[in-house]
Amino acid sequence: MPSANNQNRKFVGTIVGESTSREFRLALDHEAVREQDIIAVDATLRPTDGTASPKQIRVWAKVQRIERLNPLFPVEAGHELAATQTDPFDTVLSLSREMVTAVCQILGAEPLDGGAGGKLDHLRYPPQPASSAYRPESSDIARVVLGELEHKKDRALDIAHLSNRREVDVKVDGHAIVTRHLAILAMTGAGKSVTARRIIEELANKNYPIVIFDPHGDYTGLSEVPGLGNRVRRYYAKFPIFEEDAETVAEIINSLGYELTPTMRHRFDEVFRAAKMFLTDDKTENQTRIGWLAQRLNKPEIGTVFPVERDMWLIAYLAEAGEIVKDQADAAGEQSLTTWGWSGLANYTGTDKRTLEGIKKRAYATAAALRRMEDTNKKIAAIGATPLPTDRKELVQYGGISIVSLAGYTGDFQATIYSIITNDLYDARVRDELKLPVLLLLEEAHNFAPAKADTPAEQRAVAATRQIAQEGRKFSVGLILISQRPSRLDETALAMCNSHIIMRMVNPADQNFIRKVIESLGEDEARMLPDLDVGEAILSGQLINFPVLVKIKQPTSQGEREEKDAFVALEEARKLYGVGRANNPNTRRS
Amino acid sequence: MSQSNPSQIRLTEEGVQAELQRQPHLLMKLAENAFTVAESLRNNYFKNTAQFISALRKAINSYATGKRPDPILGVYDTPKVDWSSVQDEVVTFIDGGVGKVQLSSQVPILLRVGSYCVRTGERRLSEREQFGYYPVILGDLEGGNKERKDFIDIVRISAELLGGLSALERTPDLRLLMFHGPLVYMMSAYAGHTPFTEKDIDLFLKQYAPGTNTAHRLKEEFLEDAKLYIYPPMTPRSDEWIQKKLFEPLAWISWLYRRLIETAKQRTPKPIIAGVVERGELRAFSETILLARVFQGLRKNNQENYFNQMYGRTDLKSPKSLLDRLNYTDALLMAMLLQPGQYSESWEIAKYDGLREGRVTLPNEPDVSVVNFAPLKPENNKTGFPRVNGCYLSVSETTEPIRVETFAELGDDQIHEAVNRAHMYSRLLPGYGFPVGLDIADKFAKVPAWMTQSYGKLIRHHLGVSLQRGEISDAEMRRILVQAIYMTHRDWLFRPQS
Repeated sequence: MPSANNQNRKFVGTIVGESTSREFRLALDHEAVREQDIIAVDATLRPTDGTASPKQIRVWAKVQRIERLNPLFPVEAGHELAATQTDPFDTVLSLSREMVTAVCQILGAEPLDGGAGGKLDHLRYPPQPASSAYRPESSDIARVVLGELEHKKDRALDIAHLSNRREVDVKVDGHAIVTRHLAILAMTGAGKSVTARRIIEELANKNYPIVIFDPHGDYTGLSEVPGLGNRVRRYYAKFPIFEEDAETVAEIINSLGYELTPTMRHRFDEVFRAAKMFLTDDKTENQTRIGWLAQRLNKPEIGTVFPVERDMWLIAYLAEAGEIVKDQADAAGEQSLTTWGWSGLANYTGTDKRTLEGIKKRAYATAAALRRMEDTNKKIAAIGATPLPTDRKELVQYGGISIVSLAGYTGDFQATIYSIITNDLYDARVRDELKLPVLLLLEEAHNFAPAKADTPAEQRAVAATRQIAQEGRKFSVGLILISQRPSRLDETALAMCNSHIIMRMVNPADQNFIRKVIESLGEDEARMLPDLDVGEAILSGQLINFPVLVKIKQPTSQGEREEKDAFVALEEARKLYGVGRANNPNTRRS
Repeated sequence: MSQSNPSQIRLTEEGVQAELQRQPHLLMKLAENAFTVAESLRNNYFKNTAQFISALRKAINSYATGKRPDPILGVYDTPKVDWSSVQDEVVTFIDGGVGKVQLSSQVPILLRVGSYCVRTGERRLSEREQFGYYPVILGDLEGGNKERKDFIDIVRISAELLGGLSALERTPDLRLLMFHGPLVYMMSAYAGHTPFTEKDIDLFLKQYAPGTNTAHRLKEEFLEDAKLYIYPPMTPRSDEWIQKKLFEPLAWISWLYRRLIETAKQRTPKPIIAGVVERGELRAFSETILLARVFQGLRKNNQENYFNQMYGRTDLKSPKSLLDRLNYTDALLMAMLLQPGQYSESWEIAKYDGLREGRVTLPNEPDVSVVNFAPLKPENNKTGFPRVNGCYLSVSETTEPIRVETFAELGDDQIHEAVNRAHMYSRLLPGYGFPVGLDIADKFAKVPAWMTQSYGKLIRHHLGVSLQRGEISDAEMRRILVQAIYMTHRDWLFRPQS
C-alpha cells in the first residue's frame, strides 16, 4: 500500500504549458530532481459516462530532460566574458534568474490507494496544468518499479538499485530474460560483464541451467562464488575438425594463411576422407594402423608421445604417408591406405605426389596453429577445466553453469565451435532429448551473430543465433547477447531480444543502431548513453515495468580479466622473482 | 607621416568613405537622409558628408597634436575595461515598460517599472542581485489627461523616478543609479496635464515607498514645499491646490528630481546618477557646441561661405540651418567622429526652454486655469528642475553612440564616472552597444504578452456584457464598440459599404 503521509512528499514543481497523456512539462523547483528521477502527480478522473464517482489516481512520470535557462544572460555577453577571461560574478550581469523546466514522460497511472498492486494503466487523459508534482516515497517507487512482479516474486532477480535513489532496489523479471531473450549492450569497461555475472548469479540461485560462451575468460570467477562453485563447470574447446566437411576444413586452412592451391584443394577432399576413416571403433585395428603410420613416417613418437586423434595432425600424417608411399612406389603401403579408406590413391601420379607434399606442409602448419590455440584455450579455461563433452546435453544441468571457454581461438573457430554446440543443444530440445530448458549467454555476441557474416563460419553462427532468437522461446532455449559493438550485431537477432540492459556507449554508430532497433528506448534516454557512469544502465523492455536508470549491484564473482594495476603487478613480479634493476649504460664506468 | 598609417588615413575623405562603407547602420542613415534633403543637396550628399567629416577629424586632430589653439570637439578615451576596479559596487538599473492591449487598436493599459540591483564581485546569489517591479494600471489614475498621447510618459517618468528614489533610500551604499532613457526629459512637452490627486499619489507610493511612514512623509513634504515655494509662483490658486491636495505633474516630477539629488548629496561618496539614451534624435550638442565652434572658426578665417560652396547653396550660414538642411543629428555626427571607446566632452543640455505659461484643467472642473511653468526652470534652486550634463559615448563601430546624462549639481566627475561604467557595461553587449544592466531591467520590466492579452480579453468581455445588457444605448457608440470587440483585419462583416 502506498503511504498516504503527505508530509514526506517533496514538492518538485508545477505542470505548465500543454500536457498530453504521454508527456508534460514541469516548472521545477531549483535542483529538486535529476534526469531519470521518478516523480508523481495526483489527479482526479471522472468516468466519461458519468455513472461512477470520480477516481483519485496517481500519475507516474519520469524526468526525461531538464532544461535550464537564464533569460537575462545574453549569449553575446557570454562570448565577451570568454574572450576577456572575465568572471561573470565580477560584472553586473544577472546570474540568479533561471528558469528550470523538466520534460517528463508519463509512465502510467494507478489508483491513489495503490490498489492495483503496482501495475500501471495507460493514462488516457492528460494531467491538469498547474498540478503539483512531488517525489514519491521510496517504498511507493519500489512498488511500481516492481509492478506485477510483486505477486510473482519467484521470478524476480535482484540486480540493481535506482541510480538516483540508491535506497530503491530494482528487481527484474527473470522469466522475461530466460524466455524472451536479453541484450546487454555497452562499450568496453562500462560494466557489461559485471552485469551479466550479477544476472547469472541470480539465475543460478533459482537453479536455471546456463551455458556461457566465454571468449575472454570473463566468467571463470563464477566458480569461486560460495554456494555456486560446485555447480560451475568449465570446459575447454577442442576444435572438432571431423564434425566439419572437407570444404570447411580446407577453408580453415586457408583462413590461417596456408592457402591450398586449386590442385591441392581437389586432392584435399580425398586426404580428409582418408583421415576421417583412419581411426575405427576397433582399438586393436587402430593400434595396427597407428604403428604402420609411425613406422612409415619414421616418427616413433606417433602413438606414443603424441597420441593419434581425430584432428588436423592426423590429416597431416595421412598426407605425408600418401606422399611417401607414392614416392617410394610402396605397393603394400598403397594397398593398406586404400583398404583403410583412401580410394583412388592407386591412380595418383607423380604430380599428385607433389600435391600431397603441399597438403602435408599446410596441414602440419595448420595443426601447429590449432594446437597453439587449443593450448591457450586450455590455459585460460583454468585448472579443473575439462574437454567439451561429446554429448553436448551434458552441458545442461539443473542448477548448473557450464562455461565454454573460447579464448585463444580466432573468430572463425569460435563461431564454428559455438554454432556446433548451439545447434546440438537446440536440436536436442526440439527432439525432446534434452529435458531441461537452457539459457545461452553469448559474450562478444557480435562474433556469433554478426550483422555482416563474411565467412561460412560466421554465416552458420548467425543462422544458429537467429534460429534461437526467433524460435527458442517455443523450446525454452533463451539467449543473453552481450556486445560492445551493437552496430555489428545482427539486427534480427537483436530485435528479437525483448529485454535490454544498455550501458555507457560513446560510438555514435552504436547509439543510432540501438535507437533504431530498440523501440522501448526513448530519444532522451539514447542521448544519455555517452554520459552514463560505469555500472549505470538503462533497463528497458519486458524485464521491467518501465524503463529506468539503475546502478547495477556488484556480483559476488570476479572476472578473470579484471585487471590489476600494471605497475603494481610489475613490482609484485620483481619481488616474487627477485629481479634486479637494469644498469644504465650511460652511468657505467669504463 | 605616411599616408598608410591608419590614424592618418581616417583623416582623409577617402578614409572616411571607406570607414562608412564598413558601417552599414551609418550608411543606411546617410542614404535615408539623402532622400529627405533638398534636391540640390542630394547629389554628392555622401561625398560631401565624407569631406565635411574629414575636415572635422583633421581639426580635432590638430588640436590634439597642438597645431590648433582652440578645441573643436573635446574627445576622451575611456579607461581600459577593468572589472577589478569596480568590485563590491552596488548598482541599480531602472527601466519602465508599457503593456498595450489590442482592442480596435493598441491601447496602453498597464505600466510597470523594473529595477535590477546588483553588487559586483558578490558570489552569494541571494546577496548579489535583487529585482523589483512595480505595476500601475493606468485606468486607476484620476489625474493626467488620458486623451493625450504623452499621458503614459508622465506616469512612467513619475514611476521611474520613484523607483530610483526608492532604490537610493533602500541601499545606503548604492554607487550608481542608472536609468534607461534621458535622465530628465524635455519637460515643456509634458506641461498642461491635469494634476494628480492624492489618491493617485497614494497609488504610486504604495508601490514605491519603502514603508507607509516614508510614503506619507514624502507626500506631506511635497505638499509643504508646494505650499511655500512651488505653487505660489505658478498659480494664483495655489492655496486651493494645496487644500485639494493636487500634485501638478511637472512640479511633482521636478520635486522628485530635487529629492533624488538631495539624498545623493548626503552620501559620501555621492552616488552616480545617470541616464543612458540609445537612438537619440537630439542635435543640441552639434548645434550649440560643435558647429557653433566650426562657424566661429570659419568666420575668424573669413570662410563664412565654406558650406555654401561645398553644397552649392547660399543659406548654410549657421549651425541650425546646416543641421536643418542636411538632417544631421548628434548621434550621426558623433558616430562618424568618435572611435570605439571614445566619448565627447560634456555640455549642459537645455531641457527646459519651453517652460512658460500654459492651460491646465483641474480634476472635476470644467474650466481651464492658466498656470506658469517658468518657475520650474533650473534658475529657481528651490523648486526648479535640475541642470543636466550630457555627452556621447561610442561603444563599438557597429552601433550608434549612446548619450550619457548626469546631474550637474552632483559634480563634474559624475559624467566621467558614469561614462566609464556605461562603457564597461556596454562592452558586454557589443552588438547592442548599450549597458547590459539596463537591458536586464528592460527585459524584467517588459509587460508579458500573456498579461496584456488577458487584459484585452477581460476588457472585451466587460464591454460585451455591457452591450448585451443594453447599458450602452448610443447607436454610434454601439457600432464602434462592436467593431472594437469583434473586428478583425479581414472580417467580411465590416467590409466597406458600397
